[in-house]
Amino acid sequence: MQRGRGGAAKPPIGIAFDGDLGNRVDAVLAVAMLNGFSNEGEARRIALSVSRSSLKAAQFADVISTFYAGRAAGGGIGGVGAAREGMIGMPEGGPPDATPPLAEPLARKEADGTPQYTSSITGIVDTAETRLFIRNLLLAQEDGNAAIVLAGPATGVVRLLDLYRAGPQVVAKVKHLVVAAGSFPSGQPEPSIKNDVAAARKLFAEWPTPLIAVGSEVGEALPYPGASIEADFSWSPANPVVDAYRAFKPMPYNAPAPALAAILYTVHPEDGYFKLSEPGTISVLDDGRTQFTAAAGGRHRYLIADPSRSEAIIKLYKEMVASKPAARPGGRGRGNIPAAQDQQQQQVAPPPPAAVKPPAP
Amino acid sequence: MFITGKSIPRRTFLRGVGATVALPFLDAMAPAFAATPTPPVRLAFLYVPNGIDMKNWNLEQEGPLGAFPRVMKPFEPYRNDIIQIGNLTNNSGRALLDGPGDHGRCAGSYLTGVQVKKTTIDIKASISCDQIIANKIGSQTRFASLELGMDDSRQAGDCDSGYSCAYTNNLAWKSETQPLPPTLDPRALFERLFGTGLVLSPEAKERQARYRRSILDFVTGDARKLQSSLGPTDRRKLEEYLSSIRDVEQQLEKAEKENVVNPGMDKPYGVPPDFAEHFKLMTDMMTIAFQADLTRVITFLMTREGTSRAYREIGIPDGHHPCTHHQGKPDLMEKVTQINEYHTKQVAGWLGNLKSVKEGDSSLLDNSMIVYGAGLSDGNRHLHDDLPTLLIGRGGNYFKPGRRVLVRKETPMSNFHLTLMDRMGVPVDNFGDSSGRLDLQSI
Repeated sequence: MQRGRGGAAKPPIGIAFDGDLGNRVDAVLAVAMLNGFSNEGEARRIALSVSRSSLKAAQFADVISTFYAGRAAGGGIGGVGAAREGMIGMPEGGPPDATPPLAEPLARKEADGTPQYTSSITGIVDTAETRLFIRNLLLAQEDGNAAIVLAGPATGVVRLLDLYRAGPQVVAKVKHLVVAAGSFPSGQPEPSIKNDVAAARKLFAEWPTPLIAVGSEVGEALPYPGASIEADFSWSPANPVVDAYRAFKPMPYNAPAPALAAILYTVHPEDGYFKLSEPGTISVLDDGRTQFTAAAGGRHRYLIADPSRSEAIIKLYKEMVASKPAARPGGRGRGNIPAAQDQQQQQVAPPPPAAVKPPAP
Repeated sequence: MFITGKSIPRRTFLRGVGATVALPFLDAMAPAFAATPTPPVRLAFLYVPNGIDMKNWNLEQEGPLGAFPRVMKPFEPYRNDIIQIGNLTNNSGRALLDGPGDHGRCAGSYLTGVQVKKTTIDIKASISCDQIIANKIGSQTRFASLELGMDDSRQAGDCDSGYSCAYTNNLAWKSETQPLPPTLDPRALFERLFGTGLVLSPEAKERQARYRRSILDFVTGDARKLQSSLGPTDRRKLEEYLSSIRDVEQQLEKAEKENVVNPGMDKPYGVPPDFAEHFKLMTDMMTIAFQADLTRVITFLMTREGTSRAYREIGIPDGHHPCTHHQGKPDLMEKVTQINEYHTKQVAGWLGNLKSVKEGDSSLLDNSMIVYGAGLSDGNRHLHDDLPTLLIGRGGNYFKPGRRVLVRKETPMSNFHLTLMDRMGVPVDNFGDSSGRLDLQSI
C-alpha cells in the first residue's frame, strides 16, 4: 500500500473536476461517475467547478453536488479545517453563458409550485473563483496524488497558472491534467476549445505537468448508452442527472462521452482501458482546431479508444454513473431513494438531501 | 483655523530630564496660509482569538449596513465608519496535511499569509504585512511599529498540537524566523513611549513610583513655552493631549497599586487584573502613539490565539477556548457570544477615543485603518473561511465605509493585506497566497 505524509495510508487519487455542466451532458454524467468511483474507494472528488461563467450552471452543479452527498469540496480530505463541502468553483470572466440548456431542471416545479431542486447559490459571491478553489484544495493533497479533469473551456483552469507561487505547487501535487476537449490527432473545431481559444492555447502551451487529451473521437467511439437512463435509475424518482439528460435532447439518444473516458483514465490509468499516443505537443489553431505533433519528450499525449475494450468500458460507465449517493452517517446525499426500493440502505437512511425535495404526494 | 503667521515643525518634542513627549497634529504645524497638510494614515490590527459567533456577527445583506447583530451592536455609533467584509479565507490556516493545530496555524499565518512550519523548535513563517510596511515607512516615525498584547508572550514551548507558542502569541514577524513579541505591560509601553528607555526591575520601579511625579512635570517648561506661541484651538488640543497622558499615568498608578495588593496575580508588574482596564490603558496609549505620530503601524493581540482566559469580570469563569468548542450546547454558545460582545464593547470604546481626536477637518479615526478580526470564523469547527473582518476608519478619505462587502468564497485574506499595504504607500505585487486586491473604494 502507498504511504503518505506521516506514514498514513495514502488516500485514493483526489480529482478536481472542472466541467461545462451547463452545456455538456457528458460532464454531468462524469460527476455521477465520480460519485461511483468514490463509493468504490477508488477516487475522491476534491473540487467541482463549472467551466463557464454561468450562475445557472453553478447552481445546477450545486444541486448535483448536494444530491451526491455534498462530497464536493473537502470530501475525503478530512473534516476539521478542510474547505467547506458543497462549494462550487466558477471562472472569473470569460465568455458569458446565460442560459445553459442542462440547467433546465432548475426550472422544474412540484405540484404545489415550489421548485423541485433548490440551490444555496444565489449570487456570484456564493461561488469560489475556480483557480483559487482548485489551488486551495490541491494544497491539501499528498504530492502527486491529485489530478485535474477538464471537460469544458479552459477559462478557469488555465488561470491557475497565473497565481503567485502556483506553478511549483501544481507540479508537486498534480499527477496529470486530463483534458476532455479537442479532436486528435486532428479534426474539426470542438466547442469547448472554440468557446475560449485563447485559454486553450495557453493551457496546452504552458501547463507544466503531463497532459492527456481525450478527443471527441474517443467520445464518439464510447458513447454513454441512453437506455441506461431509462433502466438504471429507478432508485431515485428525482435525479438531477437524469433530468438533465432527458432535457438535453429528445430521448432516446446515446451521448458521446469524452468526459467519462477522461474520468476512467484518471482513476485507472494503468488498467489498459485505452491506448495512449506517443508523446508530443498539442497546439490550438485560430479556428479552434487542435493539432498533435509527435515529439520525443513532449508532455502531451492523447487517448486512443481500443475497440476490444469497448464493451467492458461501457458496462463500467453504466455501473458507475448509476451508482447511488454514498451513505453518510446522519448526513445528506442518498437521493430521495424510496425505502421500499432499497431496504438495505434503509437501515442507515438519513433524511432526504437538503437540495432535493421529496416528490409531491 | 487660527493662523499665527509662523509654523512649528511636525517633529517638535517637549523635552525634560529622562522624558520626551511628542506632540499631536496641531494647526500651527501647517505653514502659514498654506493648505492644511494631510495627516498620515495609520494602520492597526486588533486580533481576537478562537473565532467569533458568526450568527451574531454577520450582517444579513451586502451594501448599506442594516440592523447590527448582537456582537456588532456596540459598534452602532460607528456604523458609518465600518466596512464589514465577508468571505475572506486564510487557506494557510487550514491543515493542508499537517493535522491538528488550527489555532497555531491561523495565528501564525494571519498576517504572514503562509503555512507556518509545524514545530516547537525551528520556527518558520514569513515576514508579516505590517512589517513590510514598517520597513518601508518606519523611518518617518519614532517607532517603526508597535507590537502589543494583553495575554501571554511566551515564545517557546508547545501551545497547540505541536505548534510553537511563537505562532499563537505573536502577530508580527520581522522575518521568517523572527517574530516580534508583543509588549503586555502598560508601564513598559508608557516608558517606551515617553521614558528614557531604561529597563528597571519591579522593585526599582516601585521605588521610583513612590517618588514619581507626573512625566509632564519634567516637560512643564517646554510646554509653557509652546503654549504661549499657539492659538486658542491648538492650546485646547495640547491641553487635551497632555491631559490624556496624565490620565494614562493615573490609570497605571492605580493598576500598580492593585497589583501590589494582589500578590498572587500571575501578571507582569503594572498589568491591571481587569481586562477592560488593561485594554483601556493599552488603547489609550495607542491613541497617543497615533496622535503624536510616534508610529503608524500597530499590531495588537488582544488575547493569544487559543487562549483559555476566563472572563470573571462578566461572570464567565470558564475558559474562552473550551467554551468555543460548545458542540451546540446553548449555555456554552451563550458564553462565547458574551465574550465576543465584551470584546467589541471595549473596541467600540477605543473607537470613540479615536473619533474624538480632531486632525484638521477630520478625526484620527478618519485617518486610520483599524482592522478588527479573528483568524478563525467558527471556533467550534475551526473554520478558516468567512473570517470575521472589519475595516474601521476611512484610511484618510480613501475607503467608502458604512457597508458590508461580500467577496467571493476562498478569496485570500492576503488580498485584503495587499489593499492595506497599497493605502499605506507600500504597494507590493504579491503577498502570501494573494490573487489580487480588494476593491473597497467603489460602491
